[in-house]
Amino acid sequence: MNTKKPDVWLALCVIAGALVYLYSDLRMPVMRSGDPLGPRAFPALIGGGLLFAGALLLVETYRKGRAEAASRLPTEASPRTRDDVRKGRHQTVVLLAMVVWTALYYTAFEPVGYLVSTAVFLGGLLSYFHRGHYRTNLLVALGFVVIVDLVFSRLLNVPLPAGILSL
Amino acid sequence: MDSLHGILHGLAIASTPTHLLYTLIGVFIGTMISHLPGIGPSAGIALLIPVTFGMDPITALMMLTGIYYGCMYGGAVTAILLNTPGDAAAVMTVLDGYPLARKGRAAATLAIAAVSSFIAGMIGVTALSFVAVPLAAVALHFGPTEYFALILFALTTVSALTGNSLAKGMIATLIGLALATIGIDLQSGVPRFTMGFTELQDRVNFLVVVVGLFAISEVSRMVEGTMGGTLHTVKVTGKLWFTRAEWKRARPAALRGTVVGFLCGAAPGLGGTLAAMLSYVLEKKISKHPEEFGHGAIEGVAAPEAATNADSCGAFVHLLALGVPGSGATAVLMGAFIMYGIQPGPMLFSSQPDLVWGLIASMYVGNIMLLVLNLPLVGLLSRILYVPPGVLLCVVLGIATAGVYSFNNDVFDLYMALGFGAIGYGFRKLDIPKAPLLFGLILGHTLEQSFRQALTLSNSDPRVFLQSPIAAGLLVCSMISVIASVWTNRRPSKAFQEAEARIEETKHLDAEHLVEDPR
Repeated sequence: MNTKKPDVWLALCVIAGALVYLYSDLRMPVMRSGDPLGPRAFPALIGGGLLFAGALLLVETYRKGRAEAASRLPTEASPRTRDDVRKGRHQTVVLLAMVVWTALYYTAFEPVGYLVSTAVFLGGLLSYFHRGHYRTNLLVALGFVVIVDLVFSRLLNVPLPAGILSL
Repeated sequence: MDSLHGILHGLAIASTPTHLLYTLIGVFIGTMISHLPGIGPSAGIALLIPVTFGMDPITALMMLTGIYYGCMYGGAVTAILLNTPGDAAAVMTVLDGYPLARKGRAAATLAIAAVSSFIAGMIGVTALSFVAVPLAAVALHFGPTEYFALILFALTTVSALTGNSLAKGMIATLIGLALATIGIDLQSGVPRFTMGFTELQDRVNFLVVVVGLFAISEVSRMVEGTMGGTLHTVKVTGKLWFTRAEWKRARPAALRGTVVGFLCGAAPGLGGTLAAMLSYVLEKKISKHPEEFGHGAIEGVAAPEAATNADSCGAFVHLLALGVPGSGATAVLMGAFIMYGIQPGPMLFSSQPDLVWGLIASMYVGNIMLLVLNLPLVGLLSRILYVPPGVLLCVVLGIATAGVYSFNNDVFDLYMALGFGAIGYGFRKLDIPKAPLLFGLILGHTLEQSFRQALTLSNSDPRVFLQSPIAAGLLVCSMISVIASVWTNRRPSKAFQEAEARIEETKHLDAEHLVEDPR
């Protein structure tokens, strides 16, 4: 895999992000009540710094590429096999599915309640990542939510949302 | 209050039953966390901060600090038994710890690591007590100009020395600083970069960022570990106590490691990984048996372990005396201080002597507890290594969710934490260090206030930063750290590269061995 490409993209994203940040800074209202700098000066310095860091990353990547070409050494010792690529794609899909599953859980967190939503969420994850251990998974999911709920609501006096169980 | 009186006063506070209990809980949790590959002290402290909300600040901070040095203490266990460092600082321990374990000396190696850590911890806390007070006395004379220069120095050092690229370190720091500017500006009352979200007017919640970056993003690493392969654990076998010959070799190495570690810890931004690496290289250089290093030299375990633990004590010097963290984990601890309404810094020694000295004394108590926990119970505690990663990742996500929600009772924080988890994943994939972002976020507000106050006092004359000798000296040091970083071409040190290559090589050999011999 070419390791320079992601760094170039990162540098471009940082530069774009810095420009958006600086634009938002420029649009901010100026109020200088006893403060000669106002609220815009410090963020402007940060935005400038981000632009510089993005440009520096481009230079670093270019220098790294030249050094590699001069020594004729690729960045990674062995090229990725087709199996590695397939495994990498599978991991990405699983991680994306996890993010979606977690976002759904957070959406249901207050209306459904902590106990039910968390038990379902953990049950779903455990059934994939700890396959075949149905009894253990059930015990972990239920045991975890009950213990955490007791700790937060009884010991710490921070009640978690009851949701449908409050009806 | 001088240091000796302070320690005695602190011991009286730390030895109350409640404080003893919470220190014990802290070091025990820290030890457990250190046994979980992938979860470092930053994630551990972040996950446990919400549990301390109802506690009195001294008790809570004793517990959280206990988690920190408990983690540093126990990082050797996974390094020795699993060939996987529990935290980045334990990477050098793997080199000789794992070969020693495979030779049937696992228990003795763990004992050497525990005793070296204990020695370093006790000496480190004593040094902390005597160095922090005079440093705080000097810092009392700091004005906004000096504070600006000091924080800038800490930020440039951490950008320049963390990770493999100066540009990436700078990007992480500047993103942290940009996050710190979100919210209502204190001087003008203008909302900045809130994007219309009222939840962001009161600044970005520190806990949300830490849990997302350090805990939720680590789940992705566990997912990859669960799907990518197996971990090969060496069982704790053999006599627990080490031989006299082993101790004779380990003792001076541990003492040298302590000195190296404390000095590294006392310099902001250097961190435990560098301390462990320097102490390892030093031992190899002065050893009469350099050929044994990498194949099971006991000094190769004693020195880095002592250095790592002394480093964690050194990091408290500037956290308590100057209000500047020295590593990612102390940055999280500083965030916890601020959440309790306590601003670490030179005033702390006069305004909160019970807290400072109680905390320092609790480290003595905690070190003794850790030795007691780690020596006889190491076999029992190491069983946590066998928790399936699939179960572990679910538990981490569950605790992170409950903790983040309980802070404000707001689902918005949960989405933010998930977002920062995704950012943390991106940082890991792109090899961007996370600690500088945390430094930027935590110190950004003070940096901006100092900058604006200094310029207000000087009628916007930027020469004010060069007129104070301390500020000018610190700014020169900042420039030197950046120039040195560019000059050395920012490659990870040879010793560190070798260590990582050796770990990978051993893992491959172990995997091949298991395929051939599936017992």
